[in-house]
Amino acid sequence: MRFKKAITFSVVLFILSLLLVACGGDDGDNGDTDSATSDTGSGNVKTVKFMHLWPEGSSAKHHQVVNEIIEEFEAENEDIKIDLEVLSNEQYKDKITVLSTSNELPDVGFTWAAGYMEPFVNGNKFAPLDDVVESDLADDFVAGTLEAFSVDDVTYGLPLELNISYIFYNKRIFEENGVEVPETLDELIEVAEVLNENGVTPIALGNRDAWTGSMWYMYLADRIAGDEDVLTKAIDREISFEHPALIQAGEELQRLVDAGAFVQGFNGLADEEAKSMFTSEQAAMYLIATWDLPNYTTNEDIPQEFRDAVDYFPFPTVNGSGDMTSYVGGPGVGLFVAENSDVKEEAKKFASFFVQQWGVKAVEDVGVIPATKVDPESLDLPQMYTDVLNDLNDATNITLYVDVQTSPSTAQVHLDMIQSLFGGEITPEEFAETHENTLASEE
Amino acid sequence: MRKFGYFLLYVCLGAVAVFQIFPVLWLFLFSLKTNQEIFAGNPFALPLDPKWENYVKVFEGGIDTYFWNSIWITVVATVLTVLIASMATFAITRMKWKFSSLVLGIIMVGLMIPIHSALIPLYNMFLNVNLIDNPLSIVITYVTYNLPITVMILYGFYTTIPREIEEAAIIDGSSVHRLFFRIILPISAPIMSTTVIINMIYNWNEFVFVNTFISSDKYKTLTVGIQNFIGQYMTDWGAIGATLVISVLPIIVAFFFFSNKIMEGITASAVKG
Amino acid sequence: MGLNCMNKVMSNKWIITLYILPALLLITILIVIPLILSGYFGLMKWDGIGAMEFIGLDNYIVALQDSKFWQSALHSFLLAIFSALSLIGYLAVALILASKLKGTNFLRKIYLIPMLLSSVAIAQLWIKVYNPSNGMLNSILRMIGFENPPAWLADPNIVLYAIFIPIIWQYAGFYILIYYAALKNIPESLIEAARIDGATPLQIALKIKVPLIMNVFKVTIVLSIVGSLKYFDLIYVMTGGGPNGASEVMASYMYKLAFSSYNFGYGSAIGFLLLIITLIVTVIIRKLTATDEEIQY
Repeated sequence: MRFKKAITFSVVLFILSLLLVACGGDDGDNGDTDSATSDTGSGNVKTVKFMHLWPEGSSAKHHQVVNEIIEEFEAENEDIKIDLEVLSNEQYKDKITVLSTSNELPDVGFTWAAGYMEPFVNGNKFAPLDDVVESDLADDFVAGTLEAFSVDDVTYGLPLELNISYIFYNKRIFEENGVEVPETLDELIEVAEVLNENGVTPIALGNRDAWTGSMWYMYLADRIAGDEDVLTKAIDREISFEHPALIQAGEELQRLVDAGAFVQGFNGLADEEAKSMFTSEQAAMYLIATWDLPNYTTNEDIPQEFRDAVDYFPFPTVNGSGDMTSYVGGPGVGLFVAENSDVKEEAKKFASFFVQQWGVKAVEDVGVIPATKVDPESLDLPQMYTDVLNDLNDATNITLYVDVQTSPSTAQVHLDMIQSLFGGEITPEEFAETHENTLASEE
Repeated sequence: MRKFGYFLLYVCLGAVAVFQIFPVLWLFLFSLKTNQEIFAGNPFALPLDPKWENYVKVFEGGIDTYFWNSIWITVVATVLTVLIASMATFAITRMKWKFSSLVLGIIMVGLMIPIHSALIPLYNMFLNVNLIDNPLSIVITYVTYNLPITVMILYGFYTTIPREIEEAAIIDGSSVHRLFFRIILPISAPIMSTTVIINMIYNWNEFVFVNTFISSDKYKTLTVGIQNFIGQYMTDWGAIGATLVISVLPIIVAFFFFSNKIMEGITASAVKG
Repeated sequence: MGLNCMNKVMSNKWIITLYILPALLLITILIVIPLILSGYFGLMKWDGIGAMEFIGLDNYIVALQDSKFWQSALHSFLLAIFSALSLIGYLAVALILASKLKGTNFLRKIYLIPMLLSSVAIAQLWIKVYNPSNGMLNSILRMIGFENPPAWLADPNIVLYAIFIPIIWQYAGFYILIYYAALKNIPESLIEAARIDGATPLQIALKIKVPLIMNVFKVTIVLSIVGSLKYFDLIYVMTGGGPNGASEVMASYMYKLAFSSYNFGYGSAIGFLLLIITLIVTVIIRKLTATDEEIQY
């Protein structure tokens, strides 16, 4: 008899738990109302949940400036408290995914532009921020950055960073080997050949992460096509990805690989390994975006001799074709406000405050180039920063990284294809065809 | 000839031992290096200028809270897992009932779930019972997800316990509880110590669940301390090495302790058996 | 009468329930239900963010025709085979460690140390081992005269096997520990008797010790195969499944789909197929290795 009772008991429990799960799946708002009542329960102070991905250990300066901004905000707004959670990059992305399935996104958090953001916008998870931009931030952003965080002309994210990529190079190695800064692709290949003959690795590349290799491909495509931004057009389906320039870019890329321009085994190296080869003077060149500037200017962990020896040049033309003031880059992370936030107004207020303060402090205190306008003359900056900021002012075009522009699943295909193209396992034609088919299937 | 054979055997064993101890030494050297030395230098090289400040950084990162959380969560989860698994294995292998193989089957299915499949449903459940950001959710998850493997390991062992032992006990008038706690558990001490070690290692090194279910700093565990040094564009590997060294020490101590328990268990069972 | 009484006590339903219920409840609620749910998500077109759309078995049908999925499944199976084969080696090591050889107690502890390290540490170590230009392996290979050692993690023909080695090595301690405990549990009297009969140490090992721990060995076969089929950690950290899927396994493919490509419905379907495949394989293994469940001393 007891046995029967136990069985009944466990069956009931089982069904109850099933019901719990089912309810949770149907409307995740349950949890939200709970937290809202507890918020209002603690007096009139409202709590804004904020998640970011700059942990203290690895991004000390970022972390500190964020904390300063939060303190200032709380001092100005005594009725609002910021509840902070910090995660590392990968963990942050995973957690945001889990949270969004349960409608539990933080009130304010970080997002990436375009392709990453789109599913969240389509799923009604991010709040439109046009009102914030118009009232507080009009004309603050560098042209083009806000667009990357917009869907159908509505802004859903406030960009915090703006990066463009250059080829950084080691002046000392160049001098020792008697080579000059290349201005065309042929010259770059010649430099690589000379360096190889002298036993120096020409270019450090960590293509395990594939977005690194993608930047090489993107620049080649940009230079070959000239004024026309073929990549963006192909992704927007205005033209086919099998455009001659996009195929030729693959050919030129494989020419670089065949000339031995890149470090051995690049497809198995992480970007970090490649970076360390460059910073320890084992490779002469390294293509990376400006988020790396602190490593070449102010970062005390990097040897002074190296920082003195490093300089940059814009990506060369493909034998005359292309414009050296056109860049591959784009805004990095931006702030979103959750659509279902119970404290949406407060969250927007915080996001707006954060972007403004970040714009003031980012360059000087952190070494990050913000997406808001900066006047280099007014700041005391290392020369390299001033140069980059001036380049940005003169930039004719910035092509957003392919893996950010496209949807996450197309981005995955792109990155896989980049590895194969570099590895010589597919032809440039196959590369273009796969992209065309993937993009076409998404329409 | 025979002596030479033994000599050769010892040479091999010694070589393997060097190979196995090397990772820990390497990890220690790693923790004293800069990123440059780690990625671009000779991996066998000693750090030029040992960066003890890597350890300072780790302690400044507020590792002590994480440390205690790791310890208590590991201990509680491990004790519960081994106890519940022992009880279940006992019921499955030593008691007589119809559904024992069915239940064993369900438990085995538990071995097969990839954790990333479970993450979102689990989060939803804990959310509904208000256990998100509560260390209880972590303990329950650890216990549950380690149960299948613990039961399986115990199962292989329990099936080899001679029937006579329990027959003797029951005929002497012992209750089932007494049989389990006083006879079966002590006999299985060696294999239990083994499962304790395995559980400890798993719980100690886990981070996917902690990162997903816990958001307050005060409940996070040591593995989060590692995440602290992984940046958006840069990662401080030396500091990660230091965190790994600090976090592996307690587990080595516990390991040696329970490793000796395996021996003690044998003497105990030799007396009883 | 004794046996009768024994049967009665040992089939007391209340006690059985008490002993089994905690484990059963936890596993049902926290593992079985999520599993069912992931199978259910597999029926949806869902990016994990927006609304779900029921599409029946489409995801499963697509998966069965997805060459990337089958490629990753093949890799998982290869890993399972290698892991299972490596068990013989671990058993041999455990037999030596559990013998009366001098110094084995000390050696055993040393041998098991790598298993204490987390995957993060192991991945970092092996990334340094495999670095093509200044890695430990290639430094040694160059020293002994190989001019052009391979780029282990970059070459699509090698990467899979290169990454199997740390995975198998990572679990060595785990299995050796289990075998060791099982071997140490064999009553000394049995071994002593054989020795008096003039059996050599090798004969004792093969004819007495190994058969006696056969049940444990069978369990470890299941554990290693199931563990390999859903393996994720080092693959994710060391190669991310690349270059272009050359080291992708089922779990890393599932993760990529669900968490990187936001194809949550499809990812869940792959996760569920992973479970079904593992289940079928396990049943086959259990059938193949089934003998008398109990071995009497």
